[in-house]
Amino acid sequence: MAAGDAIVGHVVTFGRVLREAGLEIGPGRVADALRALDAVDLARQEDVYFSLRQTLVSRHDELDLFDRAYGAWFLRAPVLPPARQRTAADTLTRVGESPGDRLRAAEQDEEAGDPLELGASGHELLRDKDFAELSGDELRRIRDLIARIARTRPQRVSRRRTADARGDRLDVRRLIRHSLRTGGDPVDRPFRARKDVPRKLVVLCDVSGSMDAYARALLLFLHAVVGTGRGVEAFAFGTRLSRLTPDLATRDPDAALARCTEAVVDWGSGTRIGASLREFNEIYGRRALSRGAIVLIVSDGWEREDPELVGREMAKLARAAYAVVWVNPLKGNPEYQPLAGGMRAALPYVDRFLPGHNLRSLEELAAVLAGIERRHAA
Amino acid sequence: MEFASIDELERALRDADYLPDRGLATALYLSLALSKPVLLEGEAGVGKTEAAKALASVLEARLIRLQCYEGLDVAHAVYEWNYPRQLLHIRAAQEGTVREEELFGPEYLIRRPLLEAIDSDEPVVLLIDEIDRADEEFEAFLLEVLSDFQITIPEIGTIAARRKPAVILTSNRTRELHDALKRRALFHWIGHPSIEREIEIVRLRVPGIPERLAAEAAAFVRELRGLDLAKPPGVAETIDWAMALNALGRQELDAEIVEQTLGSVLKYREDIDAVRDETLARLVDEARAAAAAS
Repeated sequence: MAAGDAIVGHVVTFGRVLREAGLEIGPGRVADALRALDAVDLARQEDVYFSLRQTLVSRHDELDLFDRAYGAWFLRAPVLPPARQRTAADTLTRVGESPGDRLRAAEQDEEAGDPLELGASGHELLRDKDFAELSGDELRRIRDLIARIARTRPQRVSRRRTADARGDRLDVRRLIRHSLRTGGDPVDRPFRARKDVPRKLVVLCDVSGSMDAYARALLLFLHAVVGTGRGVEAFAFGTRLSRLTPDLATRDPDAALARCTEAVVDWGSGTRIGASLREFNEIYGRRALSRGAIVLIVSDGWEREDPELVGREMAKLARAAYAVVWVNPLKGNPEYQPLAGGMRAALPYVDRFLPGHNLRSLEELAAVLAGIERRHAA
Repeated sequence: MEFASIDELERALRDADYLPDRGLATALYLSLALSKPVLLEGEAGVGKTEAAKALASVLEARLIRLQCYEGLDVAHAVYEWNYPRQLLHIRAAQEGTVREEELFGPEYLIRRPLLEAIDSDEPVVLLIDEIDRADEEFEAFLLEVLSDFQITIPEIGTIAARRKPAVILTSNRTRELHDALKRRALFHWIGHPSIEREIEIVRLRVPGIPERLAAEAAAFVRELRGLDLAKPPGVAETIDWAMALNALGRQELDAEIVEQTLGSVLKYREDIDAVRDETLARLVDEARAAAAAS
């Protein structure tokens, strides 16, 4: 390799810097970066920059991180790359009490206290108990139930066909092959059919202060939904939007919740539903993330700023989506009326409006998701 | 054609009427030098597909395009057997016996883009367009093809590429691609061009356009991109629009002509409604000021 040892050292260390900042940099990428630098003129800074960026970064949302790290490392700019903190201690001091911490704290409480005996009737009681009133122990007990509910995913029919004896389309390739055995006569008639695949699901979960009591249970639900496979995107919002999908992809629910609390900058803050929806529509809606998807919004509809904006952005969202489902834990109260300005502005664009305050209502939600039909035309 | 440096490739692309920015030229150059596929992402209309066409032209290579869509499968991407001909052949040989090799020979094979690209003797640029629209299963299959550059047809055997095609993938990011596929490719994000470059592109693509009109049109589109629109216009829209203005014999912009021709820049009713009236007059003024300054 023509590039000298100094460059190799530089690039390897830079790879480590990026890794610490949260990018996935394997040895293959570093090797590519060195080969790329070998092919370009090192005296041209622009070419060095693009060579490194194009070999080390593979996602648009990592570009900003890369630019800052590049500035700090190669240009000696006086900014530090924003390293993601990963330890639990950091999280505690940084975001204060959050659902993940409370879950952990609640479990420690449980170990100290008397374990509660729960029979079948106990589960039955739990099903109707408001999430806001659950103890840490009870929350842990219903975790598996929540996961089971989340596993029911809405399906759509794929355009791909696979072999299926009860299919509707003749499998000509296999027909020809089989007919060779019978002297050219098509005795066997193999068929192909379209199969069902999970429909895209986008979940937007309100984690502002007013939703705090429900956030931990709903995050468990989100975690389980993301765990059902591809095509699920999860976001949290308060005053702004954070994408949670990669953080929730961790198998262990506790670790996933801890990572979520790191990712979300505004736990327990105020709510700007309209602005958050706009952020979603602009960044992700434009990438057609919501097109043909079921969009599930979990929020109490308390907009602190501009209810009109909520209506406008909901209209955009509803146009792209296959169906919009709004889950509002407050609706669990029989006396609840959707009087909050944001909620009222949003309702005309909502296909199904459901409570989400206890296990039974989550079951109802899963049933609705599984059987939902498109209400409006494309 | 071989290119010894990014500068050389950039010059050749310019001569082929494609103006890449330095980043894109670097990506294409590295893709050739490292013989790795390059994944181009960016907003609609920034010239991702055009880049592949231009590269094919400067390499004097054949452009083979695979347009992806949901449900795309091997039969439409790689090969398919010509069943009607096979059936006819069986029919014709009714009395004798048909051997399997006869029936599954090259003359019954319908070659689709991937097979064409792998089994080609001339240089090829393979454009896999909008890969994010294809199913994930297909993406996994594609990953295999792009690592080995060979295709196995059970009835015939394995066909390996005699020369690796240059591969360009494009994605509009309607979903995230597999990490494995991304690891295999260089990645380049194409943003909207700078105002100077966009003016240059318009003047290149719309021969004879008055300099002032080109600058004002580019500046106006730039103003539009700053608004909250459902679909901000890309370079392709700027070119279409400049063509329309030029065909109407315009020397410069005014609110009236913009109003009449807005449909070639903005494609959504709500976007057109959003820039009517005062907004439009204001944007025209700002664009004219910006164009005069640039």
